[in-house]
Formats: sequence, structure tokens, C-alpha cells
Amino acid sequence: MGPFAWFKWEALFADLPQFFRGFGYTFLLSVAALALALVLGIIFGLLCEVQFAPFRAISRVYVEFFQNTPLLIQVFFLYNGLPLIFGLKLSVTTIGIIGVGLYHGAYITEVVRAGIGSVSRGQLEAGLSQGFTYTQVMLEIILPQAVRVMLPPLTNQAVNLIKNTSVVAIISGADIMFTAKSWSGWNQYYGPAFVAAGILYFVICFPLAKLATHLENKVHGGAVNG
Amino acid sequence: MKKLLSLLLVAVLALSLFACAAKETPAASDPTPPVSDAAAPDDAAEPDAPEVLPAGVQAIKDRGVFRVGVKVDVPKYGFQNPDTGEQEGLEADLARAIAKKIIGDENAVEFTAVTAQTRGPLLDNNEVDAIIATFTITEERKLSYNFTTAYFQDAIGFLVKKDLGATKISDLDGKTVGVAQSATTKAAIEEKAAELGIKISFLEFGSYPEINAALMSGRVDAFSVDKSILLGYIGDDTEIIDETFKPQEYGIATKLANTDLAAYLEDYITTSLGDGTLDALISEWGLDK
Repeated sequence: MGPFAWFKWEALFADLPQFFRGFGYTFLLSVAALALALVLGIIFGLLCEVQFAPFRAISRVYVEFFQNTPLLIQVFFLYNGLPLIFGLKLSVTTIGIIGVGLYHGAYITEVVRAGIGSVSRGQLEAGLSQGFTYTQVMLEIILPQAVRVMLPPLTNQAVNLIKNTSVVAIISGADIMFTAKSWSGWNQYYGPAFVAAGILYFVICFPLAKLATHLENKVHGGAVNG
Repeated sequence: MKKLLSLLLVAVLALSLFACAAKETPAASDPTPPVSDAAAPDDAAEPDAPEVLPAGVQAIKDRGVFRVGVKVDVPKYGFQNPDTGEQEGLEADLARAIAKKIIGDENAVEFTAVTAQTRGPLLDNNEVDAIIATFTITEERKLSYNFTTAYFQDAIGFLVKKDLGATKISDLDGKTVGVAQSATTKAAIEEKAAELGIKISFLEFGSYPEINAALMSGRVDAFSVDKSILLGYIGDDTEIIDETFKPQEYGIATKLANTDLAAYLEDYITTSLGDGTLDALISEWGLDK
């Protein structure tokens, strides 16, 4: 009886391949969007720190725009707005990757900026005074220290990104969330469907969080964190 | 700190598993226990009193309000008038008529807005007594909920852009059709396409406005759902294809355990179908054309 009746689980097991396809799609989107978000985040994060003001301005605009509008609307715009305005019809997968990548790129920019900011400015000045170039100081002195500060929030971003790929479900992208909604909508067996979807997301996110803890410890030089 | 958290997590998981298991057990033994739903108080009416209502129905009378899940975005069926805030449509009136019969007051209805995806959970959680929301009766769904005999039938239609020039279903060969998740439309079209020997691909969306937006932006070539729902979405450059098919049967759904209410509503619907009151209501809303 009820939403979790055994026959509903049986129906779920019979249709598991459908859920695994959704899992694969979510995984693909996550990897691609995360790669894009990291690249964007690092580029714009570094731009925040350069002397040239217009670069800093571009970076601010990017961050503020994407942080302060809902991802849902951005994706909806890419899906319906672009074809209407520019006649440009991107595939759902492309939209998922670009949409989620751009959105989280903005957050990762802030993480990178905060990471660099956490390293005392005196080190930059000291490095420059010793004849290092700006790039050298960044790569060899500042960034190695900043990474340690950046890792925990970066992991948060990665996990959030994975969960946010579920927005493609609203534009008919067959990810985990879409499969759960579509399958349970048809037969009304929503209980098992969403439990399964939750487990599948957990399967992706949990190892990532573990990996991050591991990396964090490593960067801390094996120090016990507690 | 970490240890504490993991302990907590394990405890929560264990509890939820236990709760699931506890809920499942009766299902295996008896698919339709004759008890009323959990919300119903146990003061079962004595059988010797006149005008006795079964416990599941008496509970509604005692509460003094009939809680119904309705659509708020489907004109003529369940639609919340933006000017007055009033709930309008065939299904709203049906709910009022039932409230009048059970409680004696047609305004003793509490409407809850539902979507195709929230109807089931709202019933299961006892947040509504019944769902009257263009809920199509299917065999799979009957395993989860009680459905009354259909109070209305509505065929599936297609909304297309005028410049597509489609006039019949076979004109949609090779096209993409947008359908609603949680609707029976997709399966019905697949069946029809196989019968006509044409190929149709699908995109599924969460709500009707989203499908309409996808139609406008050219993501889909046709927006398909029950025809009366489509009527609410006709725009200046869109039209409904003349040919429709496969009437969908709408029934009133109740929680599976609430057999009292299901039987009562079934009796109510068959009676109103027989004496013409339902037909009157249907033509009042212009749904008989």
C-alpha cells in the first residue's frame, strides 16, 4: 500500500536500464560542464586580480550577471530565447553544458578570487621585488598556496553543479531527474522513482566529496584535519 | 564532529528504510483493506441510524469541508479566475456539487491547485480527499488510486503553427511533438502513429506553458494534449488540427485505502450520469461540442 508498495519497486527494477541511461547522461553533462566551469572560473578569477581595470570589470559583470539570475531562466532563455531571437537552435546537451558551465563558472570565479586574495599581498610585492615576473609570482608562489584555500569550496561547487544539471529535465533532456519524472508521471509510481534518482545522484556526488577530502589532506601535507 | 554527522546520517537512513518497510507490509497481504484512510476518525457511524454515511465519507462531513485537488490553469475544467480569484470550470462545479451532497453546503470546498505531477502525492499524503483534475484513468494508475467511472471524455488534439499547414495527423510524419510529462498523451500518439505507419518523435515538458513556449520557439512542431486543454492555448498564429483521436477518460481519484469515499463518489457519478445532471453541467461549460 502507499507510494512505496512493493509492486512499484518491481516496476522500477524492470525499467532500471532507463534510469541507468539517465545516469550516464547526467554523468556526461556533469563532467563536461565542470570542465567548462573550471576553465571559466580560473580565467575570470585571474582576471579579477590583474592591474588592467577593464579586465576586472568584465570579470565582475560576468560574475554578477550569472550569480544574480536564476539558472532556470538562463537555461530557458538558451532553449527558447535563442531560437526566437537569433534563430539559433542549440541541442539540449549543448545547452545543459553551456548553461550549467557558465553558471557555476561564475561561482568558481569567486572561489578562485577569494583563494588568491587569501594569500597576503606582501608575498606578491616580495616576489616582484626579487625580480620574478607577475606570471611567475602567480604560478609559483601565490597559486600553490591559494589552491589549499580553494579546494573545499571548489568541491562544494562541483557537487552543486552535478545536482544542478537536473535543470535539463525542464527542457526535455533525458537525465536522471527527467527519467524519474517522466517514468513516475506515466504510472504514478513516484515513490521508488525519486528514491532511485536520489541514490543515483548520491553515487556521483559522494565519491567526489570523498576525493576532495583526500586531496585536501594531501595539500595540507597530510596534516590531520578535524 | 565528522563521526557524529555520519552516525546521524546512518540513523536517518535506517529510520527511513524502516518507515518504508512498515508501509509496504500491508500491501503484500491485502491490496484493498476495507479501512478508511488515516485521516478519518474512528467513530464509525452506527448502522441503525438513518442517513448513515460510511466512515470515510462521514469524516469529511464531520470536518465540514471537502478538500479537492483541481487544476487552476485549464479553462472550462479547473481554472482560477484571475479577476475574482474564484475557482471555475466543470471540475470545480463537480466538487461543489459533491460538497453539497455530503456536507449540505456547496461552498464547503477547499480547493488545492495541482499539477499532473503533484496529484498523486497529494492524495497519498492525505492533503486532499479527492482529485478532480483532468486525471485520465489508466490500468497502471488504478493500482495506485481509486478511480470513479469517467465523468467526461476528451480526445487528444494537436496545436500547430498555421504555417505548418497540417490538417490531419498523418501530416505530422517525421515531426516532433511536445507532450506533458505525467500525461497519457505520448503512449496514445505512439499507438496512433504505429497504426498510421508514420514516425513521430517526442519531447516531454513539465507544464503546458513550457510546451507552448517550445512550440513558439520551433523546438517542437506540435503541442499535443487533450483538446479542451489546447483550447486555452490557441494564439494568433497557431491552430488546432481538425483530426483528433483516442478519447481520454477523466475520473475522480481517491486514495486507494479510502474505499468508502471511492464507492460513494462512484455512486454519485453513475447517478448523475443517469439522471442528466452531469450532462447539464457539461453543456453549461460548453464542453459538449
